[in-house]
Amino acid sequence: MLKDITIGQYFPGSSPLHRADPRVKIILTVMYIVGIFMAKNVWSFVFAVVFTAALVIISRIPAKTILRGMKPLIYVIAFTAIINIFWTKGEKPLVEWKFIHIYAEGLQFAALMIVRIIALLAGTGVVLTYTTSPIALTDGLERLLGPLKKIKIPVHEFSMMMTIALRFIPTLIEETDKIMSAQKARGASFDSGSLPQRAKALIPVMIPLFVSAFRRADDLAVAMECRCYRGDVGRTRMTELHMKPLDWILLAAFAAFIAVTVVINIFAPGFSI
Amino acid sequence: MSSIELQNINYIYSAGTPFEKAALTDVSVTFGGGVITGLIGHTGSGKSTLVQLMNGLMKPTSGTVLLDGKDIWAEPKKIRDVRFRVGLCFQYPEYQLFEESVMLDIAYGPKNMGLSDAEVKRRVADAVRFVGLDPSLMQKSPFDLSGGQKRRVAIAGIIAMEPEVLILDEPAAGLDPVGREEIFGGVRAFQRERNSTVIIVSHSMEDMARYSDELVVMDHGRVHMTGRTSEIFRRSGELTKVGLDVPQITRLMNILRNAGAEIPDDIFTVDRAAEELTKLLAERKG
Ligand SMILES: Nc1ncnc2c1ncn2[C@@H]1O[C@H](COP(=O)(O)OP(=O)(O)O)[C@@H](O)[C@H]1O
Ligand SMILES: [Mg+2]
Repeated sequence: MLKDITIGQYFPGSSPLHRADPRVKIILTVMYIVGIFMAKNVWSFVFAVVFTAALVIISRIPAKTILRGMKPLIYVIAFTAIINIFWTKGEKPLVEWKFIHIYAEGLQFAALMIVRIIALLAGTGVVLTYTTSPIALTDGLERLLGPLKKIKIPVHEFSMMMTIALRFIPTLIEETDKIMSAQKARGASFDSGSLPQRAKALIPVMIPLFVSAFRRADDLAVAMECRCYRGDVGRTRMTELHMKPLDWILLAAFAAFIAVTVVINIFAPGFSI
Repeated sequence: MSSIELQNINYIYSAGTPFEKAALTDVSVTFGGGVITGLIGHTGSGKSTLVQLMNGLMKPTSGTVLLDGKDIWAEPKKIRDVRFRVGLCFQYPEYQLFEESVMLDIAYGPKNMGLSDAEVKRRVADAVRFVGLDPSLMQKSPFDLSGGQKRRVAIAGIIAMEPEVLILDEPAAGLDPVGREEIFGGVRAFQRERNSTVIIVSHSMEDMARYSDELVVMDHGRVHMTGRTSEIFRRSGELTKVGLDVPQITRLMNILRNAGAEIPDDIFTVDRAAEELTKLLAERKG
């Protein structure tokens, strides 16, 4: 059923990464990406992989779940590898056949690129998307982008829109399910016929769905007004975010990750890009 | 007169996931032909799940659904024909209206059946008559109607398919007494005229007392008891145990009887009660 599709990748839990402040996690994600892109050398890549593996273990997200999440990107990964293998020039070709030249450097380069992409997906996943509920994420973003309000960017309004949209996605999916069943009971069929026929068969679903979405929006607006919602100004929060020791520890660990990567890049021997 | 027989039905939502939920457990029940059967049970007892299995919208996790003795899933490709024979009207059906006019919306089902224009027209006119809609509304947009009118348009949309078995999931939920009366009256007229099989899911014991011939009582995904409406309502103790009740008037009569008044135990409607009470009062005076 449609309802079984999960929204985002959030995987509820209580690990340190789940408990950290969402603002901090957004900053950590940026730091992590910077660190990964700074790795230039085989040994700094090894270090990045170890660091990422440690994050995965701390998050207590099953490795299987993370790998499954990468499935849709397998073509991107394969494409990157192929481009790097065939288009990197080196000193002495390993294979020479017609216009194809493959160099040892190309293979090494491709391997490091694949490691980089996989580490990026796994790392940003366990720091942010798997461990942060979408609502906490928008909340964190709003707080982090708060200063932009000074230059008249409606940060609060955007985040409220995001929050409401996220809240209603499951409701609308459930509603779609129900309307589709109701129309099927009247003989609609959604999985047969030509493409235009199928598109037309969706009209009896889309119209009631829109009507009900507008009705819900109206109801919600009234309910918010009844509770005196007036936008951002003067609004206090139910959950105040405070930096805890855990948040500082995580920030320090990620800063150390970047620093160590730089040091390895400078001092360690070996293939580098 | 078609009958639907369910044999050892189990239904589990989201089977094989952490959200697994057994909605029906070993349900075996027959809905006989040519009567109005009420399907009652507290919220979450599995009534809506059960009715969706009966017209093939959902497939039982295990067990068989027989329509006139034939397994409806024998030929999965022909399940649409089953849906035309077993018309199911969902709860709050007014939210499924979509056409430009009332007329076209009611005609949606019959058109999907591939009937001729003349036949579709006749069926729409018949359905409108049953549910008591004013024919002047036919060219209006269904979105301009009142709640009760929308509900009747939606029910007419199912009746217009002239199903052998008509199933209505809480058709009167949220309507005022007049609206309920019109809907149930229309359904009963349809049942009498076509001698079809009707199943009504309901919460209202009063409505069931007035309009149903038989009752099926559900509790926690199982069939708790079945029988003639009058028999079931005599067993008020068992009904209260599963979170249901007898009609209010029956409760009052039970109190009077326990207080010593000579009143029979099969009074389920206000009319009958009035009759008995006048008789009783006349005896006392006389
Ligand atoms: N789409 C669904 N997914 C998961 N569980 C469901 C779904 N629909 C109903 N249920 C569950 O199945 C049980 C029976 O529900 P339902 O058939 O709707 O009961 P009723 O109509 O008697 O109120 C309930 O416990 C309900 O929570
Ligand atoms: Mg229900």
